[in-house]
Amino acid sequence: MKNTWNTLFLEDRPSIGLSFFRIFVALTVGLHVIPSFFHLDDNYLSTAFKALNSTFFPLAFINWVQQSPDALVIFFVWAFVITWFCFLIGLFSQISCILMTACCYYFYALNSFHIGTLSWDILLVTLFLMCVTPYHGDYFSVDALRRGDTDAWRRTRPFFIQRLLQLQTASTFFFTGLYKITGEGNWITGNPIYYLMNYPVQGVTKNFILKEWMAVHPQFCYVTGLMIVATELTLPFLLFIPKTRRAAIVLGLCWHVLLVLTLDVPTIFLFLFPAQMMLFIHPQKITDWIESKRRINAQSPRPKVTYDGGCGFCRSSVRVLQVMDLWSKLEYIPGPKGLSEMRLDFPDGKTYGGFFAFRRLVWILPMLYVMIPIVYFPGAGILGPLVYRWVARNRYLFPVFHSCASGKCHL
Amino acid sequence: MFLPLMSSQKKMNNQIRNKLISLVVVLWLAVFYYESTCYYYLQPLFNRELPKMKFLFPPAGWIMFYNVGDDFGYAEVYGVKNGTPELIDPHQILQTRAIGYDNINRNALLTVLTPGEDRSFCPFLRRKFPYFDKFVITYVEYPHLAEQPFEKTQAVVYTCGE
Repeated sequence: MKNTWNTLFLEDRPSIGLSFFRIFVALTVGLHVIPSFFHLDDNYLSTAFKALNSTFFPLAFINWVQQSPDALVIFFVWAFVITWFCFLIGLFSQISCILMTACCYYFYALNSFHIGTLSWDILLVTLFLMCVTPYHGDYFSVDALRRGDTDAWRRTRPFFIQRLLQLQTASTFFFTGLYKITGEGNWITGNPIYYLMNYPVQGVTKNFILKEWMAVHPQFCYVTGLMIVATELTLPFLLFIPKTRRAAIVLGLCWHVLLVLTLDVPTIFLFLFPAQMMLFIHPQKITDWIESKRRINAQSPRPKVTYDGGCGFCRSSVRVLQVMDLWSKLEYIPGPKGLSEMRLDFPDGKTYGGFFAFRRLVWILPMLYVMIPIVYFPGAGILGPLVYRWVARNRYLFPVFHSCASGKCHL
Repeated sequence: MFLPLMSSQKKMNNQIRNKLISLVVVLWLAVFYYESTCYYYLQPLFNRELPKMKFLFPPAGWIMFYNVGDDFGYAEVYGVKNGTPELIDPHQILQTRAIGYDNINRNALLTVLTPGEDRSFCPFLRRKFPYFDKFVITYVEYPHLAEQPFEKTQAVVYTCGE
């Protein structure tokens, strides 16, 4: 019993899956909430039409939030945008998650009209769990770069948060199925899919290829409905059985794609729920896979990054590159002290220097992909080298990782 | 002497950590499953209203699409100018565009029919559509979608005067 409990919740496992999940949670929250900021006067300011969710919030809290002057609403908009961005990039992951969640609650209490849905409540439960620990900032994050921990991708943590998120996903599936066939659910006694297919254009059903055909085939709809319920009831178990897990994850992903293609369901279905399926992949398998890719790359000819070995800032920067170099695609060579710029030499003989070396690196290191639009922005080819040269000239004045300052930075 | 001390300290820290995690897990699971089953299973079982936790869970559990009826209703808003009513495109009323779905098709506008919402919705309409003299908010219903797909009723729920 104790061993099972340990395996389920207390065992240390790599947190890289949770770190990847953080990005999807952030994208979901941002894509769901930020569009409502484009019409502040309609949604949140004193001129807005508001719906208040008094079953979710205590009335006193709603009344307190409703007293917000417009300036405070605008303050919260900025607070949300800043904390959301920090959470997305993993800067002070836990704090930014807590503050962003607080902002979500504020806007939900201010007006639930646009953002409040049942799937939003699922998202809030997910956010609550994400607030409990900082594990989601271990990798794919600025926090990992700040720490300069080159082994961050294989860092192990108690598994309980990821397990609770798994249980939340599985249980939501299960209860969604169960409610359909018990109590007031009508998926046995009625034919909900058939009704949905006959909804007028104002309804929640999208126009997809089979819709018209299904609208006149009630028996097919009924069987489809039963299959949906059966899937919702069995998928949670299939996800936890190692032998069926892979098929269940694929089934879960297809499930959400189908939902998004056929029904007007909130953004959360598109961005959060498929990512929740990925939480069922054993993190050790992910790190084993990364390890094997690193081994293969380490044995092949790799591009060489040559840097000023006598400069603490350069060593720190290379440490950051190493943290980002998940696939071990680069080789790092300390050059002579005073080397004017970083060099990037490819095995095929191509050589890049300074800003243009960095511009090549953004294609090699996945965590730098987000920089692609910036380094290729019109004019970046002129401005970039100027900025690079200024940084290079002043590189001895920049702060460095403590461990890199003495020249003993282990690379 | 120092190393065994360090290791016993680490072991004790681990024990405390594990106890804390176990406590969090047990509490969370208890609350999660209580809230997931409270409204439709526990309350009928105990035959009384049970306490509901605020701030985190939906009021009736995870009931997505659990009951889809043979009927369908939605709100239509008319602006009236010089006595002539004109249907207002719901996308003009709710201009916020969600990503990947249409809030109008999720029937978000149905909220305006909730008793008491006219106090907030009428000033909102007057601000957004100053051209009109007054507004008529109606409820359109298809009572039997499958059997009589064209049968439709429409009733005025409230009006926003001048």
